[in-house]
Amino acid sequence: MSQTDGTLLELADVHTYYGNIRALKGISMRVGRGEIVTLIGSNGAGKTTTLKTVIGTLRPLKGTITFDGQRIEGMPTDRRVRLGIAQSPEGRRIFPRMTVLENLELGAFARTDRENVSRDLERVLGIFPRLGERLPQKGGTLSGGEQQMLAMGRALMARPTVLLLDEPSMGLSPILVETIFQIIQDINRQGTTILLVEQNARMALRVAHRGYVIQTGRIVLSDTGAELLRSDVVRKAYLGEK
Amino acid sequence: MSAQSAVTAGGAARRALPASLLVAVLLVYPFVDRALQTQTVYAVTDAMIYVVLALGLNIVVGYAGLLDLGYAAFFAIGAYAMGLLNSPLFGSPLHGHWWSFWVIIWVSALVAALFGVLIGAPTLRVRGDYLAIITLAFGEIIPVAIRSMGDITIQVGSWRPIERLNLTGGENGVNPVGRPYFPGVDFDRDAVPWYFLILIIGAISLWAMNRMQDSRLGRAWMAIREDETAAGCMGVNPVKTKLLAFGLGASFSGFAGSFYAAKLQAITPGAFQFSVSIMLLCMVVLGGMGSLKGVILGGMLITLFDRILLAQMTVGVRAIGRAVGSATLSTLDLTLWRWFFFGLGLVVVMVFKPEGLVGRRIRPPAADVDDEEEALVLAAAPPPQAESIPAWLRERVAARAESAGQHPILEVRGVTKTFGGLVAVNQVDLVIPRGAIVGLIGPNGAGKTTFFNLVTGLMASDQGEIRLDGQSVVGLRPHALVGRGIARTFQSIRLFQNMTVLENILVGEHCRLSASVAGAVFRPPAVRAEESQARTRARELLEFVGLGGEDDEVAKNLPYGDQRRLEIARALATQPRLLLLDEPTAGMNPRETETLTEFIGLLRQELGLSVLLIEHHMEVVMGISDRITVLDYGTRIAEGTPAQIQRDPKVIEAYLGKGYEAERAAV
Repeated sequence: MSQTDGTLLELADVHTYYGNIRALKGISMRVGRGEIVTLIGSNGAGKTTTLKTVIGTLRPLKGTITFDGQRIEGMPTDRRVRLGIAQSPEGRRIFPRMTVLENLELGAFARTDRENVSRDLERVLGIFPRLGERLPQKGGTLSGGEQQMLAMGRALMARPTVLLLDEPSMGLSPILVETIFQIIQDINRQGTTILLVEQNARMALRVAHRGYVIQTGRIVLSDTGAELLRSDVVRKAYLGEK
Repeated sequence: MSAQSAVTAGGAARRALPASLLVAVLLVYPFVDRALQTQTVYAVTDAMIYVVLALGLNIVVGYAGLLDLGYAAFFAIGAYAMGLLNSPLFGSPLHGHWWSFWVIIWVSALVAALFGVLIGAPTLRVRGDYLAIITLAFGEIIPVAIRSMGDITIQVGSWRPIERLNLTGGENGVNPVGRPYFPGVDFDRDAVPWYFLILIIGAISLWAMNRMQDSRLGRAWMAIREDETAAGCMGVNPVKTKLLAFGLGASFSGFAGSFYAAKLQAITPGAFQFSVSIMLLCMVVLGGMGSLKGVILGGMLITLFDRILLAQMTVGVRAIGRAVGSATLSTLDLTLWRWFFFGLGLVVVMVFKPEGLVGRRIRPPAADVDDEEEALVLAAAPPPQAESIPAWLRERVAARAESAGQHPILEVRGVTKTFGGLVAVNQVDLVIPRGAIVGLIGPNGAGKTTFFNLVTGLMASDQGEIRLDGQSVVGLRPHALVGRGIARTFQSIRLFQNMTVLENILVGEHCRLSASVAGAVFRPPAVRAEESQARTRARELLEFVGLGGEDDEVAKNLPYGDQRRLEIARALATQPRLLLLDEPTAGMNPRETETLTEFIGLLRQELGLSVLLIEHHMEVVMGISDRITVLDYGTRIAEGTPAQIQRDPKVIEAYLGKGYEAERAAV
């Protein structure tokens, strides 16, 4: 199932602090081109911090982040977005008083190839037909699941090489969780590399090619998704099986 | 670890020394000033008036978080109360006695407090920008009203019941204003007694505020500042709490205004302009909102800079100007640049220390524990145990659960809520038997959270009946419902972010405590006992939910899972009969979810607590619910036991999906 043809994103010995708290204590991980890689772990382990460090809303104190052969750890967030990284953040963070269409258009804000934007809008509305029905509606009036779609759609509008997804299934009904994970796989098949943070470890490991287990700021385990699903430690610690 | 405790132990001793040193300096200072002939006492006295004002404003802005741009109005009201009652101009019977000043200063504090409540009342519904504009308007109205009331004529046709009535002295103000009298003290020519008088007023104000800050009332103010909705849902009456902030905040300006009027012996409306309100606000922001030390520092810095430093600097710059032969420098008046320097200072402080010079006490995060050895399976905390349930919780919650009659704990009939054309909740019935766990599920946007908001009083239903333990609770405000025994948590955690873990729990206990304003300030034995019991209960509760030892951590610094647990603990602190949990396991991994599920089960089993649960994790809902109600598009589409719900084709189609069935079959 390996679609890897080289490393796209690599973190090497990354240390990130939240004020005085050392949230990441030397994270090293690799995301290959075309992969879905998932990061699982308990609350406060550093999953979201890792994504924030990759997108640049937090800066590492030490360590390097390489994206597509370039060192990016010192770059501001907007430059990283221009390079091809986009994030669908935890808690969605859509623009509640702007319309769905405006939210999506803002996703493409940093792009220079304006002529292709409308084609991507069609593509996003193809993936999320629900958003198409609601284009003139204010983002804040959408239901939780629709807001999740909007956050993902907005990130896709940046036409990213790698998409960072932070808890895409949070607060979604079971039927929507299935849909969202199908969409994640579809997006990946269309060529987007995905780094996925999920509490729903079972679903995440099922769709991911590889996974990393993070605990109190350190990577403690890494393997293919399927192997991690079979691992005794993971089953006990994160899947709640006896 | 040992080094850290040594630091805290030494801290108390080290703090006592500078404190006594400060008192000594304050007491000796005016005499040193006299001996050296520096003549700064007058300016320092004025500075202290502004400090008292800024402390009063800090209650409104710093504690309660209500942006007040017109605080000078209360200063004016305090000063005019003294001026009008203690001047021969208007024939006040209170004027001319030895006790006049000492009595009227209290009267004007009371008058200012009354106006605080009056002016506060219409602003209760608004916050932020809107509140700022309304208070700005009041700040303008009061001086204008004082000016115009110096010459009132009312004419109806040719009848003039009131002609040229002078109530306030108009533009000329009130002059003279009576001075304080105290045997053996010369208030007429000497500046030193004034210094000591404002020092005493300031010290008493500071003492009172310090006690209020750390009381039931102070916590309620801060809770309102942090999250008014959540505060209401924890039993804090927002109307009463905000009016108290306005009233008490204004009362301090009554003292300061009285003192000011008596000291100047004359007041004019021009002394209470908008710029005074802004300067007071600058003092609070510069020093650090909500920090008493900061506000004092900010007040002192700004006034002394204005009154002493700028004047001295002007002299210095002119001397330099003459020396180098520069006409511009030798005639420069830096005091005309005061607003420039204030502005510059404020910008510099905000850039480098946005929380103000002395921000609110925030403990640095715990030392970085090295956990190299930690085993992988320790990833989730162990579930709370039955034996660690605090005795008081068992007593109060379980006792109430048993004592009640035969009514179901909650009975909702035909409740409807529409937003514009959208029917969010449509004729929904829901019954929670005593001690039951009822699940509420449905697709995103089905109206589950709206239903919660109706039951907890955050929204008023359009029609339908809601009965808690047989009694109708329709129309009750959230804080009143908390008093009756309904507690809730929120879908997106709503803790009081900048308050400590312990303070969050104590706000939860608000409606079970009774300390009044006077109680908070004077702390009679009953209040002390109540407060210490409340703290003990809070610590036991934290221990029970697995947050023991985190008391002084600021809530926003807690990891996500701990925040969820704190929110549930805060709800338990209200001693509820019915607990509403809105997606308690959102954002938790399966292991943590399982722990929380056991916890909810434990609360029901051991305390007899009834629970209404919104949840998307089916293993939770199906595992612990006695009955489940399913909403779709605001309408109840199914009701039954978990087994019935799982097989219901309508539920599978709208909510569970075919995959859920498949997964269940596979497990």
